[in-house]
Formats: sequence, structure tokens, C-alpha cells
Amino acid sequence: MMAAAAGWRDPAPALSDPGPQERIAARRRRLAAKRREALGEDVELKVAQVEEEQRRSHKQIEESRQRLAKLLFDGTQMVTNIQVAADLREMQRRAEEAELKLQRVEKLENEAKSSTYKFEEITSKWALAKEMTIPQELWQLLNQQQQQCALLLEEKNKLIGELQQELKNKDEQYVWAIKKQSDDIHLLLERMEEQIRLMLKNYRHELLQIEKAFELERRELLENNRKKWEEAIQAHNAQELEYLHARMRKVEEFEKQLNQLRVQDEEEYNSMKIQLENDVQNLERQLQQMKAVYQLNQEKLEYNLQVLRKQDEENTIIRSQQKRKLNRLHSLLNNLRTKLANQEKQFREENHSLAADCERITGQCKEVQRRMRHFAISDAEKFTEVWLMNEEEAKGLMRKALDADRVIHTQQLGLPWEEPRYWFLNNVGPLGHYKVKRMATKLAAEVLTESSSGGQEEEGREKEKEEVGSEEGGKENTAKVEGRVTPLRNISKRTAKRILELISDESGFLIESKLLRSLQALGRHERTLMKLDSIFAALEIDSEDDLYQLVDFFLKYKAQEMAVSQGEGQISKGGATVTGQLQGRGVLGSPGTRYPQADVEAVGCAGSGTGGILRDPHAESQPACRSGPPAAAELGAVPAARGVPQLRGEQQAALPSHEVDGPEPVLPRGSAVGPRGQGTTFLCPELKLCLEPRLSGKD
Amino acid sequence: MWASAGREGHLVSSRTPSTLETRAPTKAQRRGPPALAFGSFGSPAGKCGGDSQAIFLLLLLKEKWVLSRMQQSAAGDRSTAVPSLYPSQASLTADSYYTYRVIEDPEWSLATVPHLTELCLQHIVHNFEKNPILDCLLPEHQRKVLDRLSTGLPLAVTANLISDEDYWKRCCTERWQACDISNYGDSWKQMFFERHLENILKCFIPNTTDPNQVLELIPLCKDYVRKLEVDQFLPPVQMDQKEESDDLSNTGSDFEFGEVSIHHYDLGVLITALPHLEELHLTYGVKDCGMNFEWNLFNFTHQDCCNLAVAVKMCHNLKVFKLTQSKVDDDKTRLLVRNLLDHPCLVELNLSHNLIRDKGAQAVGKLINHSRLQTLDLCNNQIHHLGAQALARALAENSTLTSLNLRLNCVEDKGGEAIGRALLTNTTLKSIHLGSNNLSEPTAMLFSQVLAQNTSLTSINFSCNHLGLDGGKQLLEGLADNKALTEFNLRLAEVGQETEYLIHQIVWANREAARLGSLQHPSAKPI
Repeated sequence: MMAAAAGWRDPAPALSDPGPQERIAARRRRLAAKRREALGEDVELKVAQVEEEQRRSHKQIEESRQRLAKLLFDGTQMVTNIQVAADLREMQRRAEEAELKLQRVEKLENEAKSSTYKFEEITSKWALAKEMTIPQELWQLLNQQQQQCALLLEEKNKLIGELQQELKNKDEQYVWAIKKQSDDIHLLLERMEEQIRLMLKNYRHELLQIEKAFELERRELLENNRKKWEEAIQAHNAQELEYLHARMRKVEEFEKQLNQLRVQDEEEYNSMKIQLENDVQNLERQLQQMKAVYQLNQEKLEYNLQVLRKQDEENTIIRSQQKRKLNRLHSLLNNLRTKLANQEKQFREENHSLAADCERITGQCKEVQRRMRHFAISDAEKFTEVWLMNEEEAKGLMRKALDADRVIHTQQLGLPWEEPRYWFLNNVGPLGHYKVKRMATKLAAEVLTESSSGGQEEEGREKEKEEVGSEEGGKENTAKVEGRVTPLRNISKRTAKRILELISDESGFLIESKLLRSLQALGRHERTLMKLDSIFAALEIDSEDDLYQLVDFFLKYKAQEMAVSQGEGQISKGGATVTGQLQGRGVLGSPGTRYPQADVEAVGCAGSGTGGILRDPHAESQPACRSGPPAAAELGAVPAARGVPQLRGEQQAALPSHEVDGPEPVLPRGSAVGPRGQGTTFLCPELKLCLEPRLSGKD
Repeated sequence: MWASAGREGHLVSSRTPSTLETRAPTKAQRRGPPALAFGSFGSPAGKCGGDSQAIFLLLLLKEKWVLSRMQQSAAGDRSTAVPSLYPSQASLTADSYYTYRVIEDPEWSLATVPHLTELCLQHIVHNFEKNPILDCLLPEHQRKVLDRLSTGLPLAVTANLISDEDYWKRCCTERWQACDISNYGDSWKQMFFERHLENILKCFIPNTTDPNQVLELIPLCKDYVRKLEVDQFLPPVQMDQKEESDDLSNTGSDFEFGEVSIHHYDLGVLITALPHLEELHLTYGVKDCGMNFEWNLFNFTHQDCCNLAVAVKMCHNLKVFKLTQSKVDDDKTRLLVRNLLDHPCLVELNLSHNLIRDKGAQAVGKLINHSRLQTLDLCNNQIHHLGAQALARALAENSTLTSLNLRLNCVEDKGGEAIGRALLTNTTLKSIHLGSNNLSEPTAMLFSQVLAQNTSLTSINFSCNHLGLDGGKQLLEGLADNKALTEFNLRLAEVGQETEYLIHQIVWANREAARLGSLQHPSAKPI
């Protein structure tokens, strides 16, 4: 049975629990695979390689494991078979026992039944025995009973004997069973030992096999690795050699470079050294020089120090002297002060007396003025008379000359003669239409103020006049002003004002920068005036006519026809203005400011006085204009009347700009000259023109 | 005298006691017995602090010894074995005595003088019983002491003090020949105490042996005993019975005579005092009785059973309970089961080789579903189909039991079919043993169905049944699709060699598959 069981198990595939070696190997394989995987190598290739490499040992392990598992299983079966057999035996025994027991019970029951039957039979016979009376029968019956009882007993005993026999058999069986059990146990032990031996042997064998396989594999691996290693080493050596060569080459190269560099550096060094040495020498020389200079300076300074000390000493002496002098001067000062106080007192008293004198003298002066006005009127009358006489004379001479000319032309030269038309031929009386030329600045101021407020034109002008100082004859003044303004009527006041303003705004370059700065503080109107003043000064526009010319010049651009229509008047006037201008200039300079203020004032007073005197007849005789006041007087009066206050009040800063070339004739003298010069001017304005500079120069 | 010497810190002389005694008997007498010349230290501090004192005393001793030598004859150098106290000439030239000694005994060297610590340790070893010093020693000194300790020391001293395995290994190997430590949790100490306790219990004779013998041991071994394997319980001795023991076998009436005090040792006290007890293997019987066999030697009484049941109930950590070959019948089984119901830990129950019948089996069936039993062994009992049916009913509902052994019972086809039907629904049982149960074809038919359906069973044993050829074929058919079964024992089951071979093939293939599965499974874990 066992053999059979073992027999058919032999071909069974050896499948059993994994052997420990196999498991370890598998684990190692897995670990190795994992490591390789982690190393990021070509996993598949490696795995394939590993499979191939591991195959031998793996196969060996698998084989061994299967063989051992089979052996183990077979051995276990062998061992346990005993137990199974024993179980079976026990079962069989139990079955037999049960059967026997049944039989026994049946047998016993049968026996009991039969025996009870017999027993009953016997007991029933006992009753019969009681009935028995015959002893033989009774004996017989008793014998019979005895026999039956014996039989019963015998049967019982037989049964007992049988049972005892059975018991003995059982005992024997028990002994046999024990023997069998011990045999079984022995067998079991034997088998176990055998199994152990066998397994041990097999395990050893398989271990050896596996070890061999591993050894072989290991050797192969080692060889492979050694080969690889050697190859790697060779490669490494070759590479090393290569590197060495490369290194050598580099070293040589570097050495060369180093040498080169060294030589270069040496040269550089030498040159640098030389240069530096030169520098050092230079510096040393400089140092020497500096030292010398220093010593020199030191000596100088020492000398200076000594000099200064001496000077100091001298200074102390001088100071003491000065102090003494100072003291002396102080005492002198005190004396002088006392003297000053005395003198002041004295002078105050003098002043008082002089003031009284002055009042007296002004009264005298007024008297003189009244007298002078009287004389002026009479002089003017005389003048016109003289003028008319001279004019007649001159006209007669003229006519003569013209006749002569006509004669020369027609008769001598055969030319048609045309009588030239001279205005002075028709002129009667002194040149009365000769307009009093106003100062350009004054005019400008007028124009400006007039235009500023149309309604206040007249009043403003009156005021001006009053300010000028012509207290008498306000009406005459206005009339005169009306007359004077006439030239301006050609040009609208507004335009004139515009033009003037333009000039003042645009020609700032003509004004001195210093003045400009100081002008900033003034009002707009005043500023414009001041500017114009200085501009006129720069352009040498002094008179009214100059101003008109200027305005005209500007207007010509604008209104040509106007200029044309006025052309004649202007030309005719032009001559007058020019002459007037020139004349005025000569006289205008008279209020020249070279003279002390007092003189100017005096002149102003005189001027205004004469102006005032002169104006009256002028105003009266203006339409006729024959008995025109002397131009010089008028000319002198106007600037005196208008310019002086200006000079005094406003344009003290601009005084120098008013200086006119050449020494100006003093007005009194001028006025004195006036009559003298009048003689010449009566002759011809042109001549006068030529003469005047000479006169003034002479003066 | 001895104690005083100890307290004074009298230290070691380098001479052996015998020489000292021969050389200077007077001194020796004064100083006490030479064997006790070692200082006894109450504490290790004494050992540490005694060095300077020791030197001083050594000098004293030296002097005395030299004097004694001088008193003796000039032939004092007869024994070269006598060690000198003076290690070298150079260090001791100042002393004339020393020079004298050096001339006398030039071979002497310090190497023969043991270290002071060594001597102290020796002393500790010698007096370990009275004065056990171990924990306060340095590790290397502990080691030395433990190596030298006698195994005969009373357990009261050693049990709770020494935990060193080597010491207990010595104890075990000296006492028993075969020592398999793997059965005792790989601990020599545990092994020692368990076997010691087992021996005492085996030899315990109620009413004769002093119960204190066990009780005294309890506090010593309670921390180390985890398993108790007692295969013998001696009955109480009855003097009169012993005398007429020859007749006992023949006279049945005598059985009742000793019935009164025939109970065995009550384990209750012991078991409840062992907090770590996990396994309990008991056999109420007498071993090696030989020709003194008596039936009443093997009597597991009701009282015994009661005591045991109560004790086991109290033992909450018990995991394995084996009560074998103890004539446990239905009543006792029911008693035991009643006490084991809802036990918190019990995992394995072994009641093999007893007299359990159907009622007992029914009780066990009840127990299956009222505990955490995983392994149940009822082999070699008298369970018939009724009991098997009860077990099958329990099994159908159970979800803890993994192994059931019903070998050598009389389950027969009725019971077998019931169990088979239960296995159609059960999904936890892995192993079932139905060997020698008078099973036949109907059971085989049902089990072929089970094999086709059940996927948890891995091991079936049908050995020694009468399944017959047809039954075998049916089992083969059922097994055709089964992948779980790895063990199928059909020896002596009359199924025919061919069927058996084919079944073996299938099972072998399944086993291989299971092996591979288990290989892959643990491999997945470390990753």
C-alpha cells in the first residue's frame, strides 16, 4: 500500500512549499532588479540578462525544491500512513467489537431466556415434588431436579467459561494490540528516523548542488566581471596615459608661456624700473629745489618778520604820536564846535535880516516886472514899426533885384523869365505866425493826458498851465493852447497817443537800463512819460515839430492820402518848424543844467516872466501875427516855463541826458543876445541858421 | 567574627587560605577562618571606597606574614608556589624586609594575585543566597556573578532577581536532558518555571503533599508561566487500598470505597493566580503506572470537572485549552462548556480522546457560536450523527472557526451530510478532518458539491472511510474547478488509485498556486 502510494507519487510534478533558498534567491533577484531599475539602466535588457545569468542556479533551486518537496511529502505520507492504518484498524476493531458485543448480548439474552425457562421448569417441578408422597418418586424427582440444576449451572458455567475465554482472548488481543502499537511506534520511529536521514541527505545533496550551481555562476560572474574590470582598467589606463600626455603637453605649453611671460614681465619691469628711477631722480631734484625755495622763503620771511617788527615798533611810536595829535584835535574840535554854535546864531540872525531884505526885494522885483512888461509892450510896438520899415526896404531891394534878374534873363540871356514867388515878398510885419514851438516831451505829455480822458481835456490843460506858473490870463492860455494844438489836429489825438505809447513801449532799447529799473516803481502814465522823455533825448527830438515829424512818419504808412492832402501845409510849415527847431535848439540848450539850480530857477523865473509878458501880446495879435514877439524870448520862455519844473520835479535823474552839446548861452545873456541876433535873423532865416551855431559857439 | 571582619573591610590576602593557615596559624586564628578572609560588603559603595583601606590592610598582612616567615625555619622557600606580596625589587628596595623577601622568592609576580574586584565578586557569588547583590553591579561584573552562580540556589532568591537567560539555561540543562526552548516562547526562564511547576503538579498527591509547595511557588513564577502542560494528575493515596492493591483489580466493590476523596488537585487556586497563563494542557490520568494499573487512577470526577471549569472561567487570558484522555463525558462537557461560554480569549479547544457523545457535541456546538473558537478538536470521541448535526448547525452560522477535527467518531453519512450542507454556507472553515467516521458515498456526493462551491476550505481529510469508487469520482468532479484546496487526504478511503492520483494532481497544482500567491503577497509588502 505504501509502496503503491509512493509509486504513483513519483511522477507527480514536484510542487511544494517554497524552499527557503529559493525564496531568498527570488528576493535577491527582485532587489537586484529594483536596484537596477533605480539606477535607470536599460531595465529590460538587464532583466533578460539577469534571467539568463540566474537561470542555472534558479533552475537548480527549483529542481531541488521540487525534489525535496516531493520527498518531504512522501516521507510525511509514509509516516502518517501508520497512523491512518492504526485508525483503520481501530475502526475495524470497533466495528468487530460492536458486532461481537451484539452477538454477545444476543447470546446472553438467549441464554438467559433458556435458563429462565429451565429454571421455571425446575421450580414448577418443585411444586410437583410437594405433591409427591412416594419417596422413590420424590428421590427420582429430586435427582432429576438436581440433574437439571446441575445442567443449568453447567450451562451457566459454560457461558461464564466462554466469557472468560473471551476475556482471555481479549487480553491476548490487548497484549497483541499493545505489541502491535509498540511495533507501530517502532516503525514510526524508524520511518521518522529514516525520513530524517533521507531528508538530511537529500537536503545536503541539494544544498551541494545549489552551492555548486551558485559557485559556477559566481565563477562565471567573477570571470565576466574580471574581464569587464580588466577591460575597464585597460581603457582606464589608456585614458590615463592619454591624459598624462595631454597633461605633459599642456605643461610644456604652459612652461613656454610662462617663460615668455617672464621675459616680457622682466622687460616691462626693467623699463618700469628705469622710468621710476628717473622719476625718483626728478622728484629728488624737485625736492632739492623745493628745499632751496623753502630756505629762501624762510630767510625772506625772517627778514620780513624783522622788518615788520621794526615797523611795529615804529607804529607804536606813530600811534603814540597820533594819540597825542588826536587829543590835540579833540580840543580843537571842541573849540570849533563852540565857534560853530556862535556862528550859527550869528547866521540865523543874518538870515532873518536877509529874509526881510528878500521880501523887500521881491516887492521891488514885482515893480520891476510891471515896468518891464510896460517896456516890452512898447518895445514890441517899436519892433513892428522897425520891422515894417525894414521890410519895405527889403521888398524894394528885392523888387530891384528881381527886375535885374528879369532883365538879365530876358535881355541878356534871352531866357523867358518867371518871377519867383517868395513868401516873404507878401509878408507884412514880423513873423507872427511863427508858432511857439513846444517842447516835444511836453506835447507828448499833453497828448497823453488829453487822450486819457476826453472830457477832462481842457481842464487838464488848464491845470498844466496853471502849474507852469502863468497865473494871469487863464483864458489867453486856453486860447493859446487851442492855437498851439492846431498842428495836432491833423492827427487825431487818439492815434497820436497810440503812436506815442507804441514808441514808449517798443523803443525801450533807447532807454538806459538804469533808468528803466528805477521806472518800475512809478505808475503807468508817468512811466510812459519818462520813457518818452528819455527816448526823445536819445533821438534828439526836442521840439514839437520833431515830434510831429515823427508822428507823421508813422502815419504815412497808414494814411497816404491824408499825408498828400496835408502835404502843402506841412511843407510850408516844415520850413518854419525846421527853422524853429533849429532856433529852439540853440536856445533850448539854454536851460542846460550845467548851471547851479539857483541860476536855472532864476532863469526860469526870468523866462516865465518874459514868457508871460510876451504871451499877452502874442495872444492878442495872433491872427495877425505881425507883431510876433521875439522868437528867442518866446523860445526861452517856453522851456523855462515848462521844462524847468519838469527838470526840477521829475527828471533830475535824467538831467545829464538833457545836456546839449556845447556850452549853452545863459538865458539872460541869450535874451540879451536875442536883440543883437535879431538883427541878423531879420535878414534871413537861412542866414540866421548859419550864424546861430557860430553865435552860440562864440558865446 | 566573620561579620565583624566583613564590616572592618578586611581585605584579601593574596595567599590561598591553606597556605596562610599553614604559615601563620596564629594570625589566621586571630583574623578568623581564612576562608572568610574576604571582606563582605554590604553595598557596592564599600567595594569602591575600600581601595585605600585595602592597600593599608595588605601592608599589614604583608608584615605579619613576613614576620611569621622569619619565625619559621630558613627553609621557608620550599614551596615556590607560595606567592610573594612584593611584585618587584625595584619598587620595594626601601624596605629591608622586602629585599629579603625578594631574594627569597624571585619568581613571584603580581599576575597570580587576583584583582580585588574579582575577589569581591567571588564573595558575592558565595553569599548570594543570603545577600543577593546583582542589580547594583556594573554590567561586566553582573555577567561574572551570573556565570558563577550556582543553579541550586533557592528559587525564592533567584526567581525575581535574575532575568539572565544564561543562568536559567544552565538551570534547565542541568535539570532536564531535552530542552526545546521553542515550545516555551524562546525563554529559558519561562521554560524553567513552567516545567518546574508542571513537575510539582505532576507529583502532587492530594491530602499528602503540602499544598503550600505550590502556593509558595505562585508568587515566584506567576510572571513567567504562560503555558501549563500537565499530563498526569495523581489521585489521592489510600493506604488501605494500597495494601490490598493486588485484589483491587479483581474486586469491583472497592471502587466505591475510595470514591469519597478521589478528587484530584484543585487547579483553581493556581490557575487564577497566574495572570499570564495562556495555554492549559491537562490530562487527568497516571503515566507509567505499569502493572499497578487501576481504573480509578484514571477517574476524572465531577468535582474535578467543576473545579476545573470554574478555574478556567476565571482565567481570562487563556487561549488554548486542552483536556485530553480524561474520560470527559457528556455531563462534564456540558459543565465545561457552560463555563467557557463567551470566554474572551479562548481560541483553541481540544477535547480529544474522551467519551463525548451527542449531547456533549451539542453543547460544544453551542459553544462554537458563543466564543472566539478557531480550532476545535474532538477526535476520538463517540459523536454520532445527532452530535454531528448539532455541530453542523453551529458551523453553518459560524464565522470564526477555522479548523474542525472529528477524527475517529461515528458521524456516519447522516452527520457527514449535515456537515457538508453546513459547509455550503460556511466561509471561514479552512480545515476539516472527518477521518474514520464511517462515511460513504452520499457524503462524498455532498462534498463534491461543497468542493465546487466553497472557496475557503483548504484541507479535507476523509481517510479511512468507505467512500467507494463512485464517491471518489464524484469528489474528483467536484474538485475539478476548485482552486483553494491544498490538502485532500483520501488514504484508505476506497476511492481507487486512479481517482486518488488525479485528486492529488489537482491538489498539488492548487498548492503550487497558493505558494506562488503567498510569494507574491509578502513581496508586495516590503515594497
